[in-house]
Amino acid sequence: MDTKISKLILTLTIIGIISAIALSFVYQWTTPYIEKHQVEARKEALRDVIPQAQEYEEVERSGQTFYEGYDSGGNRTGVAMIASGPGYQNIIELMIGVNMNSQQIYGIKILTHEETPGLGARITGDAYKENYVDKPFGDYKVVKREPQSELEVEAIAGATISSESVAKIVENAVEQIQDAYGGGA
Amino acid sequence: MLKRLFIDFKNGLWRENPIIVLVIGMCPTLAVTNTVENGLAMGIATSFVLLSSEIVISTFKNYIPNNVRIPSFILIIATFVTFTDYFLKAFFPDIAASLSLFIPLIVVNCLILGRQEAFASKNPTHRAIADALGMGLGFTWVLVLLSAVRELLGMGSIFGIEILGSWYQPMVIMILPAGAFISLGILVGIMNYIKRRGN
Repeated sequence: MDTKISKLILTLTIIGIISAIALSFVYQWTTPYIEKHQVEARKEALRDVIPQAQEYEEVERSGQTFYEGYDSGGNRTGVAMIASGPGYQNIIELMIGVNMNSQQIYGIKILTHEETPGLGARITGDAYKENYVDKPFGDYKVVKREPQSELEVEAIAGATISSESVAKIVENAVEQIQDAYGGGA
Repeated sequence: MLKRLFIDFKNGLWRENPIIVLVIGMCPTLAVTNTVENGLAMGIATSFVLLSSEIVISTFKNYIPNNVRIPSFILIIATFVTFTDYFLKAFFPDIAASLSLFIPLIVVNCLILGRQEAFASKNPTHRAIADALGMGLGFTWVLVLLSAVRELLGMGSIFGIEILGSWYQPMVIMILPAGAFISLGILVGIMNYIKRRGN
């Protein structure tokens, strides 16, 4: 015969409660480590994209979070931000650092992505990221050969979509930084 | 008694191997075997969840009413999967990042639910442990083999270490989803051939 409904409810409730209690302990135990990794990843990314800076500061401007890098003399050497946009399979998130004085990109670092391993995933490789080092602000064009003008970006062989996605994210990010920092300042 | 346990253990390795014989748990098998590191990590994570949930379920099976056994199993499995997810994110952030969504998806891996239903809910705990170890290892070795073939042919490397030199033109299709189907199909074919020859 069927078991009484109250017993079914009781069973599931007990399992649910035990599981919730156990997981809340696990959560408490692991959260500090997880947060530490995120902070470290961000710090490391900042060091990569604003290489000359000694100290970093988080600032809010026009509703966006920016990171400003200062050298030992207290001069602002660069501005960085986290930007994201659609990639081939999922959102690509990257950090970009720019030099506001020379109006050039210092460099980019991919934070999260789900591009195809071996193909699109090579956006994290140095060969592709080199494309953006010291690039002037502007509209970028992804080409499938050696770049001939300053605004051209060389695509990864077999991964044009991923290459173009990153170029678009970078382009938008540069615009946002320019808007927030009013061009030259 | 020991012999019985050994038979339970060996069952998953070959005779009832989850991937090549039962053909269950195909989603992670196809999705994460593009590199050996991913395949191995997925195998270990799945084995851990399988082992822990088989222990719990075989121990408490008499207290779980039949009508709610599937929801109960899923609750228990989800608990261990969530634990694994947090654990990997905290201590192996690189692996967690590359497996991302596929860790939470272990909850619905039919290998795990299937073994609870077919084995853990009917057998004593010590036999469930033997079964989980065998099935987990059986799942892992096929994942590793499959991902080794795919990584070697698709990228010319194993564990990210370059094996084939620069003369090798990587077959990109092998690390794409289509390559997963092709290599799994060939692997199952070879295994079936060996099995039939053995009989």
